[in-house]
Amino acid sequence: MLNMKIPWSGLRSTSTKLSLQFALLYSVLVALMFFGAYRLSIYEIRDRTFDQMRADAQTLMGVYADHGADRLTEHVKALQTVNFENSRIFLLLDGNGRTVSGNILEIDLAAVTGDDVQFIPVDDIEIDGDLEDEVTGYWLTQTRIGPFEFIQGTGDHVGSEVVEALGVALFIGSVLAIAAGLLAGVWVGKITEKRIVDISNTLDRVSTGDLQARIPISNGASDDLSRVSESVNATLGRLETLLETQQQISNDIAHDLRTPLQRLRQRLERLESQSQPDPSEAGSALAEVEDIITTFNALLRIAQVEAGDQRARFEKVDLDTVAETVFEVFEPSAENQSQVLRLTRSPSAALVLGDRALLLQLASNLIENALRHCPAGTTIDVTVDAGDEHATLIIADDGPGIPVKDHERVFRRFFRGDKSRSSSGHGLGLSMVRAIAALHEADVELSDNEPGLKVRIAFRRL
Amino acid sequence: MRVLIVEDDAETAEYISSSLNALGHTYEVASDGKQAFLQALDSDFDVMIVDRMLPKLDGLALVKSIRSADVKTPIIFLSAMNGLHDRIDGLEAGADDYLVKPFAFSELSARLMALTRRPPMQSEPTTLKVADLEVNLIAHTVTRGGQEIAVQPREYRLLVHLMRNEGRVVTRTMLLEAVWDFHFDPKTNVVETHISRLRQKIDKPFIKDLIHTVRGFGYSLHA
Repeated sequence: MLNMKIPWSGLRSTSTKLSLQFALLYSVLVALMFFGAYRLSIYEIRDRTFDQMRADAQTLMGVYADHGADRLTEHVKALQTVNFENSRIFLLLDGNGRTVSGNILEIDLAAVTGDDVQFIPVDDIEIDGDLEDEVTGYWLTQTRIGPFEFIQGTGDHVGSEVVEALGVALFIGSVLAIAAGLLAGVWVGKITEKRIVDISNTLDRVSTGDLQARIPISNGASDDLSRVSESVNATLGRLETLLETQQQISNDIAHDLRTPLQRLRQRLERLESQSQPDPSEAGSALAEVEDIITTFNALLRIAQVEAGDQRARFEKVDLDTVAETVFEVFEPSAENQSQVLRLTRSPSAALVLGDRALLLQLASNLIENALRHCPAGTTIDVTVDAGDEHATLIIADDGPGIPVKDHERVFRRFFRGDKSRSSSGHGLGLSMVRAIAALHEADVELSDNEPGLKVRIAFRRL
Repeated sequence: MRVLIVEDDAETAEYISSSLNALGHTYEVASDGKQAFLQALDSDFDVMIVDRMLPKLDGLALVKSIRSADVKTPIIFLSAMNGLHDRIDGLEAGADDYLVKPFAFSELSARLMALTRRPPMQSEPTTLKVADLEVNLIAHTVTRGGQEIAVQPREYRLLVHLMRNEGRVVTRTMLLEAVWDFHFDPKTNVVETHISRLRQKIDKPFIKDLIHTVRGFGYSLHA
């Protein structure tokens, strides 16, 4: 599963397929739209033709009413002369049905009866003069003007040039639009595909063990793909940290438990070889086991805190009561070592959201650290303060302090400054402090107390 | 006392049972949760030791079942799980105490004693008395042989805890948990320091010591 290769060739990619589908849909829509426009324009031109015929008939009725039959005949003749190649045809019949004027030689009058415009195929009419090649029939109307019957028609070829030109324009337009749609579809598909290939390649690299691989994110783009990429990257980052922690733990265990395990083994071997087991040897062996368990527990606890799953159980904790408890626990020990432990409570409530047990441990570790590294006569100040945004816990001593260059290193596991590894403590106290602070999203700041060390933990105040 | 040991690891069960036997206690062993449930209902025990991870019915479910069957026998959890909240989960399920493996038998036996001899207090007493030492729980005063002793609040709390467990061994860890709610081991020997302070006031001016160190176990207050 891990090494599965996904074929990203051509049409098999989802994005390309999708873009092509959209381009096709787009093409069909454009073609339909343009076909509709073509049909509409044909009807529009026909309507105009009919309007003109009606207007001409009205004019002739007016002429007859105002000036009589002779002027009507003249007008019909005039209409014929402005006619070009029989695009329009006319017939004026008198009351007896005889032709007065017109270029229609023969027509089946019964077919033209009625108010509506009628279409007569060109073969059913005989017309004086040549006809346009394109004409297939005429749209005819019949109007009664006094005793006369006026029949007029317009060839169906009229306006066809305009429609044809429009058709060509629409066709070219459709082709261009469809081509553009297809190209855009394929182009978008290619871009998307490339980004998906990036994501897939990155995950492939991760699956083969390269945890530092990240999906390249083009700046500026904030679409769904870049959001997905960002959250994948964030997940990878978290995973990398977790694995590093895990690795660190195994290294730490190997590092710090090997020596005591070796000593334990020696003691047990010695006990085994003794005919009369020496109780003090057994006691030392047990002490060694105790030591191993303590270190082991401390390491596991740090790991658990770093994994951060107890945030769900956070509750309101008063930093003052935490400091008071810890002060109470350690004050006699400080006095025994001729050190002064002082507590300054916060003037206003220093409430934070956290895990009380862990905060107790954080404060204890810091105080124990100060107690252990400061000589007799030093003063260790425990101060709780509450500002607008932060509640802070400060442990400050006037002991030897830590060189500024070591301020970051002290938080590493097993770091013990210049002291030899045989000194008390496991070098895990400050690692735990940092882990607990990180869990609480608190800032840890080490500074020179001039003289001494000042550790300031700033929590978000409730 | 009669102990039910619920533990699927034969070697651990044998370690606990032989150690209990040496102290003169009787025991039964159950190696899975279902069997343990039946045994718990079937006969009376003074205390049960329950491993958290068990075949068939896990420890947490077992304790819940025992409690819903209205069996009130004290239960102590043994667990290889050192999760920060595993202890709380265990106590919420109905256990009375929680001990993380690996443990020393001294720690287990001290905790067993503390559980079994917890007196069924009908009403909270107003005074605690061991020999001529007396604590007034209302006035928060300490007297020995009629002579008032000024103690600090922390010394008072420690003393009250020791007196409530009169005659029983209380380990360092038990004191850290009960008096200060510390569920971790400080490296500094704070408990020893506090005990020694208390001794200065309670025992030193008097002829007979009441606070005793039980080597390898902890402390015990008795006449």
